[in-house]
Amino acid sequence: MSSVISPRSRRSEAGHDRRSLLAGAAAGLVVAALPARAATDISPERAQLIARITEGALPERGRITLDVPALVENGNSVDTRIVVESPMTDADHVRWIHLIAEKNPFPDMARFHLGPRAGRAEVATTLRLSQSQTVTAVAALSGGGFVMADADIVVTLSACIDGG
Amino acid sequence: MSFNARITMPTDVRAGEIVEIKVLTRHPMDRGGQSDGRGGTVPRKILNRLTATYAGEPIFRFDMHTGVAANPFVSFTTRAVATGDIVFEWREDGGATYTRTARLTVT
Repeated sequence: MSSVISPRSRRSEAGHDRRSLLAGAAAGLVVAALPARAATDISPERAQLIARITEGALPERGRITLDVPALVENGNSVDTRIVVESPMTDADHVRWIHLIAEKNPFPDMARFHLGPRAGRAEVATTLRLSQSQTVTAVAALSGGGFVMADADIVVTLSACIDGG
Repeated sequence: MSFNARITMPTDVRAGEIVEIKVLTRHPMDRGGQSDGRGGTVPRKILNRLTATYAGEPIFRFDMHTGVAANPFVSFTTRAVATGDIVFEWREDGGATYTRTARLTVT
């Protein structure tokens, strides 16, 4: 009997060690990733997707907040809120906000068309994400400029598990 | 009928106030591409557009693609200007449209 229990307990010990090792490695990855985020470099694929909707213009960072959870269990429904700091007057307002998921089968997810009558540039929706990736929000301002924000999301259950 | 919409917004507001409108829609948002079992694929069938009109003037448009979740939720704001109907119109792949109306009373 004891011969059955002790190997089990040994396995459990080994599993614990592997877990803590993985956790340590993950923490190391997060720490290693932080300076890269600060440098705000954009992958060529994402830059291309952004350039396509802004007709080549490079959006500035700032004035826009993309609020998404850092980790979602289910990629089928991800709560998203976008807020742009804008007075929303006839002269200065947000024309539209576009959401890009670079690794989705169709990266263009949604576009919100707003206008001065919105009063506030704040929208929320639920998104579908195929895998862990960076989600980008680009807003077009009435003055002709663009602003963008992005957020990394870890998805534990993909929205495309049936191979679509 | 697989479509249903729940619109949440205040009914009585003061003029100039910013109103938040939340729309929760029941729709499968089938992104298509799955096998139909007969050698073909299922066509995409999603709601691809939601338009909101307030007292006859368009105030908001939401273009949806396959990246929007099933049973799509959207929230947006508008400034209350006059008592009137807010008309929501969805356009589905294949040309079907659905319309819902909500009354906003401005005092």
